[in-house]
Amino acid sequence: MNFMSLIGVELTKLRRSKIILILLAPVIMMWIPSIVNAEIHFDPQGISITPEYNFFIQGFMGMAWFMIPASLVICTVLLVQTERSHKGLLKMLSLPLGSAKFCLAKFIILLLLAALQMVLSIGTYYLSSAIVSQLWNYNFILEPLYVIPEVLKIYVSAIPLAAVLWMFATLIQAPVFSVGLGLASLVPSVLIINTKFWFLYPMSYPFYLLMIAYGKAAKGIFETEIAWLPWLPTAALITVTALAVSCIRFGASERR
Amino acid sequence: MILLLEIKKLKRTGCLPAFLGGAVLAAAFPLLNMLVRSETFTALPGEPFRILTDANWQMMAMLNILTIICGACMIYHTEYANNGAQKMAVLPVRTYQIFWGKFAVTVLALAGMLLFEIAALELCAMHWFPDYHLQLTALAKNLCFSLIAALPTIILMMLIASVCQNMWISLGIGVILVFTVSVFPKENLFLSLCPFNSPYQTLALAAQNGSEWIFTLICAAETIIFGIAAFIFDNVRRYFL
Repeated sequence: MNFMSLIGVELTKLRRSKIILILLAPVIMMWIPSIVNAEIHFDPQGISITPEYNFFIQGFMGMAWFMIPASLVICTVLLVQTERSHKGLLKMLSLPLGSAKFCLAKFIILLLLAALQMVLSIGTYYLSSAIVSQLWNYNFILEPLYVIPEVLKIYVSAIPLAAVLWMFATLIQAPVFSVGLGLASLVPSVLIINTKFWFLYPMSYPFYLLMIAYGKAAKGIFETEIAWLPWLPTAALITVTALAVSCIRFGASERR
Repeated sequence: MILLLEIKKLKRTGCLPAFLGGAVLAAAFPLLNMLVRSETFTALPGEPFRILTDANWQMMAMLNILTIICGACMIYHTEYANNGAQKMAVLPVRTYQIFWGKFAVTVLALAGMLLFEIAALELCAMHWFPDYHLQLTALAKNLCFSLIAALPTIILMMLIASVCQNMWISLGIGVILVFTVSVFPKENLFLSLCPFNSPYQTLALAAQNGSEWIFTLICAAETIIFGIAAFIFDNVRRYFL
């Protein structure tokens, strides 16, 4: 059984999970206040930013800070709990396949679900900016060559975070602790992003990239250049370590 | 009786340590804030307790809400994971009593958390503001206000968790609601009364707007309405679940 068919099997398992509705709801919610209070984007409160960039950044702010990590936590619960009921994981482990493969296939599913949410958020961005442009007679629509790379960057920066959350989910048996740890760890990311050690904290990566985009759109808000050097090696190390740990410990309590 | 039973059920789920962990994390916020940059706060004019809650309560309340969501999901997950709820349905107990038992456990746990957090705020105030003295009545008032402000959130989250048999759906709905209220403006009185938004309110802020009694009464009313909804749902759920 090759890796692609394993991913196909995992996708089939999600068929009736209603996860798409849960991924879609926040993506719609994040644009409703922006549409209702669209006039605030014309009043930048002393920041030199054009309304269309303000609309984009403010809309994605809550997404990058809160909803991407929280969605990843929900998806890990989904991936773990579908196996826990009726001892699904035990049956999987009895198959003549390496458990690391299962673990990685599930991680790929986690990334696919996050990617789906990003695609949905780009779609709703264009929909809502089109609505606001019609309502206010001002072009709020940014070109796709700007929007898609920015969202893609935020998505890629969420991969270390996904690996860490997946490690929590496989390591910690009691779901209340893995979920609680994931949710609690995203609360202080707003504070940590302003310290020197933000690159050690994967929960703040998507928000950091959004703030860089903010800094580019409005001068003086935040740094405009990404500090690659301590960040990239640290992020790679965190991702690889977290994935290795979760592959080794995958199904450990079932194997006892 | 039912309350003791519900507490016993939580023994190996890790719920009570999770509530304690949430309280410790939330209490660490004012402590860290004061350890790192105490001068910025001690220089501010006004009442010390108010300064501390203004600086920290948003984060602390958010942690409380997330803990409530986690706890509610987990408390009902123990029933649904191995069809415990079905077994309870054949016992000679009324099923809505189970809901009230679980609600009472969560309220007690949250009361403990709030006590811990407010005590931490109080200790910070006493340590960093030399001319501040402990006022037990003010402390008790703050505790009661925060608890009542959190009641609609707790009961709505219990209702969601009791409706959805899959844990990720109830968790997802809870998290989406937290996200939704975080993107809406905070100043509006109507929005600040909504469940998942009311715990962010502090007594000092409500008293400043003169809305502390309205706030308390409406939160209590919301709790009763959601309680009635839970009762009705409990009686009709077998028709469609």
